[in-house]
Amino acid sequence: MKQTQGVFFTGYVTIKVTGHHPELFFDLCARNGITVWNIRKVDNATCTGNVKLAHIRNIRALRRKTIYKLSFVNKKGLPFLTKMVMFRRPLVIGLILSMLFVFFLSNVVWDVKIKGVPLDIEKKITTQLQSYGIKPGAFKFNIGSPGDIQQKLLDDIPELLWVGVSEKGTTYHLEGVEKTTVEEKEKKGPRNLVATKEGEIVKMFVSKGQPIVKVHDVVHKGDLLVSGELGKSKEEEEDESKEQTAKELVAAEGEIIAKTWYETEVIIPLEANYEVLTGENKKKYYLGFGDFLLPVWGFFDHEFDQVYKESSQKNFHFLKWELPISFVKHNIQEKEFVNVERTNDEAKAEAIKQSTKDLQEKLGHEAEITFEKVLHETIDNGKVKLTLYFTVLEDIAKPQPLSQGD
Amino acid sequence: MKKWQQRIGSWLSEHLELPSDVVLELPRITTIGQLHAYIENHRGLLLFSENELRLNMEYGYLKITGKNFVLKMMLPEEILLEGTIKEIVFIEE
Repeated sequence: MKQTQGVFFTGYVTIKVTGHHPELFFDLCARNGITVWNIRKVDNATCTGNVKLAHIRNIRALRRKTIYKLSFVNKKGLPFLTKMVMFRRPLVIGLILSMLFVFFLSNVVWDVKIKGVPLDIEKKITTQLQSYGIKPGAFKFNIGSPGDIQQKLLDDIPELLWVGVSEKGTTYHLEGVEKTTVEEKEKKGPRNLVATKEGEIVKMFVSKGQPIVKVHDVVHKGDLLVSGELGKSKEEEEDESKEQTAKELVAAEGEIIAKTWYETEVIIPLEANYEVLTGENKKKYYLGFGDFLLPVWGFFDHEFDQVYKESSQKNFHFLKWELPISFVKHNIQEKEFVNVERTNDEAKAEAIKQSTKDLQEKLGHEAEITFEKVLHETIDNGKVKLTLYFTVLEDIAKPQPLSQGD
Repeated sequence: MKKWQQRIGSWLSEHLELPSDVVLELPRITTIGQLHAYIENHRGLLLFSENELRLNMEYGYLKITGKNFVLKMMLPEEILLEGTIKEIVFIEE
């Protein structure tokens, strides 16, 4: 049966032989190496059988030597099918166009749905998305992955606490959670303000409560700064307790700015290597079929010595299926190694800058940091080791609930 | 001359266990019930109709009769016959 395998693809013809003992013609064919199958005797003088399309030429040559009459009854197989299809070209073109159309529509964003956020933020998200190019009618392969969109949205819209982006077919579903600054309870319990760290008080803004300390006082951690008990000093207390007037308790509120001191240790190498991007870049676009990349744009190789490569891949869709074809974008950026050798002074300046930044990060942006002096300095193995001294103006007040004792 | 060759052939197939169809140039017929008959090593088709197939052999010919015969495949020395086979007859000349 091997001989007739795949005949559909090569094409085959049913021939009808007429003459005296027509089966003998098929025998002749077989003896000449032409495979014949499904031979039927229709009547005494006619016989039909299948032969391969490629053998037709040989059969014709054979027939010329005989007296048989040959006619082709049926043509089957791919070659005939394609011929027929080519004959109906408009139909084929229409079919291909419609496939392309569906393919095109499958790769377009049809809708962006936003859930779970108030209208104003929804509007913000929509405009932000539009600036990324995500809007109904946009091509999907220009759009980053949902994870990227999520990250970008979170970066660009500070009001968002969390946003989930999911891509369902041609629709993007976004679900957001608004960052609600949790307002401290309106009715705050009575409380004191105490110091969080040691420092010298520079400024005091007390909006509620009775200040206990004064400007220029030095306080230690845990010291009472503002009392939540109103209307008494210690001397008064004795009198009033006798009079049985209820003391008034409030939630102390205020800002106590104090000067605090920090000592930090920094090690800075005298020699440093780092990479920078020069800004020169080259974009390449590919169509990816599995692992194979077919360049679409950007054919020439870059001439950069050192490169940093970013690539993104986006699969094409056909209706709901993901095709193994993808749109691949490569962004090749030139990078440079920079070698910096610092002098002692430069290293020191760098160290101060760095530790100021670290400190600022630790204390929050409201803290005011001033550099005082270098306490200690050693150079060892090409590294400068510094002990630095800073003074900081910061709010040291911390609420501490007042136990009411009942 | 032919008789002599045939004698050597049968001796070979008997004592050296060579397949007799190859040595003696005899047809090998494989049938699957009544449905198929697969004939190898024949020497040409003599007659074919719905009810009968006659094949030439080295010595004599082979006659297969039955119903609804169709030659499923025809190669230089092989034939696959399909239909309802009634009898297979060896006719010596």
